[in-house]
Amino acid sequence: MIRSFTLLLLIAFCGKLFPAGDSECGALESCIDYKADVHDLFSLQRGLGLYMNYCSSCHSLEYLRWNRLQKDLDIPKNILREDLILNPNIKNSDYMTFGLNSDDSTAWLGAYAPDLTLRTRVRGESWVYTYLQSFYEDASRPLGSNNLVLQGSSMPHVLSSLQGRQQLNNKGELVKVSEGKLSEQEFDNAMQDLVNFLAYAAEPIRSEREKNGIFVILFFVIFTAVMWLLNREYSKDIK
Amino acid sequence: MNKQNNSFMSWLDKRFPVTENLERHLTKHPVPKKVNFFYIFGALLMVIFMVQVITGIWLMMFYTNTEEGAFASVEYIMRDVEYGWLMRYMHSTGASAFFFLMYFHMFRGLLYGSYQKPKELVWLFGCFLLFLLMAEGFLGYVLPWGQMSYWAANVILSLFGAIPVIGPDLQVWIQGDYVLSGATLSRFFALHVVVVPLLMIALVVFHIFALHEVGAGNPEGVDIEKHRDEKGMPLDGAPFHPYKTFSALPAIGIFFVIFFSIVFFAPEGGGYFLEKPNFEEANFLKTPEHIAPVWYYAPFYSILRAITFGIPLLGITSKFLGFIIFAASIAILFVVPWLDRSKVQSIRYKGMYSKIGMILFAASFITLGYLGTKPVNELRTLIAQICTLFYFLPLILMPIYTKYEKTLEVPERL
Ligand code: HEC
Ligand code: HEM
Repeated sequence: MIRSFTLLLLIAFCGKLFPAGDSECGALESCIDYKADVHDLFSLQRGLGLYMNYCSSCHSLEYLRWNRLQKDLDIPKNILREDLILNPNIKNSDYMTFGLNSDDSTAWLGAYAPDLTLRTRVRGESWVYTYLQSFYEDASRPLGSNNLVLQGSSMPHVLSSLQGRQQLNNKGELVKVSEGKLSEQEFDNAMQDLVNFLAYAAEPIRSEREKNGIFVILFFVIFTAVMWLLNREYSKDIK
Repeated sequence: MNKQNNSFMSWLDKRFPVTENLERHLTKHPVPKKVNFFYIFGALLMVIFMVQVITGIWLMMFYTNTEEGAFASVEYIMRDVEYGWLMRYMHSTGASAFFFLMYFHMFRGLLYGSYQKPKELVWLFGCFLLFLLMAEGFLGYVLPWGQMSYWAANVILSLFGAIPVIGPDLQVWIQGDYVLSGATLSRFFALHVVVVPLLMIALVVFHIFALHEVGAGNPEGVDIEKHRDEKGMPLDGAPFHPYKTFSALPAIGIFFVIFFSIVFFAPEGGGYFLEKPNFEEANFLKTPEHIAPVWYYAPFYSILRAITFGIPLLGITSKFLGFIIFAASIAILFVVPWLDRSKVQSIRYKGMYSKIGMILFAASFITLGYLGTKPVNELRTLIAQICTLFYFLPLILMPIYTKYEKTLEVPERL
């Protein structure tokens, strides 16, 4: 059995001999590694705030309901209605579409802004995190901005007031040309909040799943132990 | 079970052979005392099959099988249905687990010659199960109607279109439309939830009945029927129940520990169990840059892609030749019992060539699997071609080397 295992490991190793080497982050060599934390409620709330202020004018969240958001992020009901939903015609159980729909509103950008509910799962959290940091000024683009991760992206640098303006130096690297409202560290934290929030939107159950999984696994560990002892008793009579 | 003392059982047994069958298949069915790790996968396959059926029924209650509704209904299951997310993750992880177990189960068969006389039918039913599982996985993968559902299905369906003469009509007939559409989706749904699972259940029953008729094997390739005690129980055997049932339970426990670790902590399986592009709804205007099949098809997909040349003389395009070789890579498994001419069953007693052949085969299969999930380039295509060759050669040459190679003496007892 040990021999079979070593053999299998050896064989499995064969596949690893040919490294991949395709970058996912466009002009960048690799994405900045980021794994969202969906357990930090305050971070999710700050992320929601950023989203409402800077993203919701273009991007819908068409699979997330207002009342689900309210419950999961622990938002008081009156704040939900008065500060977030605003429109009295929208029900608490409606999806967070902000009255956008895919074929109007952003036609002037040359591309419609995709729904963001599942985007962190399509692109990956690191990708979105890197994307949000990699806008720069580019006079050749219709709106004067471009992105290293998604070359030719028609999304403007909506966060420049927070981050400051960025340009490319002659090595093709991002450099800051003006200060934003936030320091580098603060902006980085803000982007983490935003990606955490998007990761939450992509899978609202995630935090519960990661919290409760351990009990299910523990149950089966105990089950295994008991069955192992039982089997040991039984197998004594056929030795 | 004591017939005389139990009037209900005797009433029942006169009308329906319960006790007889329990004894035949469980309490008196002899199985080898000593087998190894590789012999647990059959039992685990039964378990995962049940998991898929139960979670599948649950999903089916909330899923919408239309082009407009499918994708959103899956998100509905993930968000609004009580424990819908758990059912979905168990089902999607279960699909990968099913294949994983299946490949190990088959590898055991190849290692220990479990397909040899008189177990040819056990193996054959098994191969049909592999074929059905591949169909089932393919059909199921289309249902969430994500980008990868759509485009991967397109690649596979276009293979039928590549068959000369009848191809294009055949493809339209399968799709139920000129392009892959909602019509295809709803028929795939019917096939995925009813037709294929029913066939699989029937085949699992055949598989087990055939096995119980001829008796289970062991890693030594020893015939346990030769030496029996006075009651007729083989000396190296033990009744299936309770000995095998109880030895399977801890293994099932370990399996569930691993299974639920994935379900709860890595349901996407690093993008291999749930592929990233599938979180975006199918869009027939937007081809993904890189269409990758799920990992469990990757070895066969690699073989398909490795064929970059056709036979122009016969009017065979490279795509069609790829399809033929791809089909052959599965079909050849069906005839393995008739390719092996060895006097012994187990790899332990077979000769040098069998051992080398097995290593080449397994290494090629895994390498092909790895390559199948990556975009092609020249080097990878070359490696895939070499591996395709070494996938087939050990099987094709099997009748020759197993007949002439020197084998070791098999012991009398386990
Ligand atoms: C002015 C409208 C507008 C605003 C405001 C806006 N975006 Fe965008 N966004 C777009 C457009 C248009 C695209 C499509 C880019 C393309 O594909 O060329 C896009 C693309 C994206 C993408 C990439 C999607 C993909 O996978 O291709 C992400 C992620 C994203 N936006 C996040 C955000 C976030 C987070 C905010 C808030 C900080 C935001 N956007 C604010 C217009 C906007
Ligand atoms: C749904 C899929 C399948 C199920 C549920 C299943 C189940 C089982 C079970 C319970 C056993 C007895 C226990 C064991 O030996 O592991 C078994 C034995 C066997 N299976 Fe399968 N099986 C499946 C697919 C396959 C496939 C795809 C093959 C090969 C092509 C295969 C080949 C065999 C062979 C040769 C044996 C006999 C092993 C021996 O006794 O030496 N099975 N199967």
